[in-house]
Amino acid sequence: MTDVATEPQDAPVPPSAPLLRAEGLVKEFPIRGGVFSRTVGSVSAVAGVDISVDKGETLGLVGESGCGKSTTGRLLLNLIRPTAGTVLFDGEPINVMRGRQLASMRRRFQIVFQDPYASLNPRMTVGAILSEPLKVHLGLKEAEVAERVADLLRTVGLAPEHTNRFPHEFSGGQRQRVGIARALALEPELIVLDEPVSALDVSIQAGVVNLLQRLQDELGLAYVFIAHDLSVVRHISDRVSVMYLGKIVETGPRREIYENPGHPYTQALLSAIPLPDPRREKTRERILLTGDVPSPANPPSGCRFRTRCWRKRELDDAGVDTAACVEDEPLLQIRSESGAEHPVACHFAKTVAVV
Amino acid sequence: MVDAPAPAPAPGLTDKDVLLSMRHLRAGFPTDDGFVRAVDGVSFDVVRGEVLAIVGESGSGKSVTAMSILGLQPTLEVAEGEILWKGTDLLTMSEEQRRAVRGKEIAMIFQDPLTALNPVHSVGRQIGEMARIHEGLNKKQSFERAVEMLDLVGIPEARKRASMFPHEFSGGMRQRAMIAMAITCKPDLLIADEPTTALDVTVQAQVLEVLVGIKDEIDSAIILITHDLGVVAGLAHRVMVMYAGRPIETGTTSEIFYETRHPYTLGLLASLPRLDDVGDEPLVPIVGSPPSLIRKPTGCSFHPRCRFAHVPGNCETDDPNLRLVAGDSHMAACHYAEDLADVSIDSLRSSIDIAADTELADLEVAAAIYLPEDEPEEDAVVADVAVAEGAAHPGVTDRAEGGFDEWPGSGHGPGDGEVNR
Repeated sequence: MTDVATEPQDAPVPPSAPLLRAEGLVKEFPIRGGVFSRTVGSVSAVAGVDISVDKGETLGLVGESGCGKSTTGRLLLNLIRPTAGTVLFDGEPINVMRGRQLASMRRRFQIVFQDPYASLNPRMTVGAILSEPLKVHLGLKEAEVAERVADLLRTVGLAPEHTNRFPHEFSGGQRQRVGIARALALEPELIVLDEPVSALDVSIQAGVVNLLQRLQDELGLAYVFIAHDLSVVRHISDRVSVMYLGKIVETGPRREIYENPGHPYTQALLSAIPLPDPRREKTRERILLTGDVPSPANPPSGCRFRTRCWRKRELDDAGVDTAACVEDEPLLQIRSESGAEHPVACHFAKTVAVV
Repeated sequence: MVDAPAPAPAPGLTDKDVLLSMRHLRAGFPTDDGFVRAVDGVSFDVVRGEVLAIVGESGSGKSVTAMSILGLQPTLEVAEGEILWKGTDLLTMSEEQRRAVRGKEIAMIFQDPLTALNPVHSVGRQIGEMARIHEGLNKKQSFERAVEMLDLVGIPEARKRASMFPHEFSGGMRQRAMIAMAITCKPDLLIADEPTTALDVTVQAQVLEVLVGIKDEIDSAIILITHDLGVVAGLAHRVMVMYAGRPIETGTTSEIFYETRHPYTLGLLASLPRLDDVGDEPLVPIVGSPPSLIRKPTGCSFHPRCRFAHVPGNCETDDPNLRLVAGDSHMAACHYAEDLADVSIDSLRSSIDIAADTELADLEVAAAIYLPEDEPEEDAVVADVAVAEGAAHPGVTDRAEGGFDEWPGSGHGPGDGEVNR
């Protein structure tokens, strides 16, 4: 057990501007229909998201499938262009950059995908995969490239002898290590990790998580860690943002989010996760949500969570007026009356310990 | 190889309560590279009304074990053993007899309902089919039964939903429809193969709630196959942990979680990040990868990855049998199971130097890499790495002999694996 005082989030915030700052990010995907594939509507996958990541810190981005967390991750790197909003990397707006300017900026931020089998070219050896960015971006010579590739493999815990192997010759955990090595090749300052350990067995997952933490310590990397597994996110993150239907509903230091959650969705999400501890598990109260996530093509008015919200139902039963939930969209802000010291997007936010 | 004794039924229960009894089952798949020994000597009992969890990582044989009960894998070759269902061996039954059991007395809930449901038939028709075939209901009656079942698993507007198609359902509803289908004939045993793995946690909580409610309603037993130890903790009465096709630890849920006696089980628990951790405790990975089921390591299959292995020693030479280690049903397949009495997850986490351990683990991962059979020179390279790093890796040796030559009637003698091309 570590003392509270040594928790990373309690360290003084560096006075400099954040490494990455996104404001008002919106991404709408068109829905096409009819004979001429006209746009008949749009899905707002991300509907106004603000994010900032400091140098060397890990931001955990959690939510269920379809909440827009992966789209957000891609928007942050300008892999897809936002419909609205800005992304500043080290103070420069990358969402308006193009061509060579963007390419040279891309050296500083990289991504690791969930499925390394799909994201590594099966016809390229690991050596070729890792040397490509070195040649394209840095213009290194063959000998230098070979040396650097060997270094990279060692860094992620593989042997330099593996450069001539193809991705299919590795196990899942090793393949993900190759994906991480590729992201590290250009010595980036920020890596977006999109469900990097979700496809791995737990015993293998632990090794990759430890590797990511070691690399962060050694290289001072900043991570945006996107995952649906809240246990892993707690382990690796300094700060956590919870997404629901394209919006961040709660954000704050790790410990605050897990021990003092203020949003009814965060509370339901945390209480739904089974603990590997039979005694506690059998006495735990679960907050069960009813129904499924509404379609992002037609989100509910006001608060997007209201259709499944257990607190709204409780308040309704108690005769409290919850018209605000239907009419006004709750803003992500600190609500002193809620008992939480971090921003929560709920009109009736109230902290409940659920873990 | 000596067969492991079957675990004794829980105390206070007569043989009458034992629904299913698997005895020394060995089965596998012939492939171009050799015979995959997916189930390599599995024995267990399922008692009426209980939830037995089978836990293990990908490739541990947990799904194949369950599928062998229903006989749903045509390419699976059963070499030895019996699966007694209420005293009758399922393996010697005629296909007709077996079909009468399948779906009616033993039903299965699959992991991925979108592949398990037929896309061109309405959900109601698929659910009703069970009742039509096993109970002889007509079309209208069986549809009514389907509506009733959908209602039971908590699908709103069940009548309307019954005429819809699987693609019109959300993931959680599809899984509920699967459960509805499985319970239509009120089976005595439900086999749930990763029933909630594809679902989001909030939906998983709903579906598990339904599953438990249904179990109590129709008083059936459940074999729950999962890799999620959290789900096991909340649901299971007993647990069987599998590794490389064999059970390596069995016991009550609290024995498995709190008095762990096998290094692999302990490793699984210690490698798990926990929601209720403060978050700074190091995770303890299990080094290396699971072994190939074609060529298992000598001795204990787990010894190349084991933190507690005595190497050199009997861990690399003798395959440990599943034996009673505590109480009247807690069994573990480890020569040194008793030594684990003083080791807890916390002590394991605090005793290792995580930085050094991570590097060591990484190097061992590198050394234990998959070796293609036709590249002998690669062995030399990897051996060099291992020696150079001071981490001799005994696990990559073949076990060409033993095991399959003793399998009567399997048609797969020793050496078959190497010359099968």
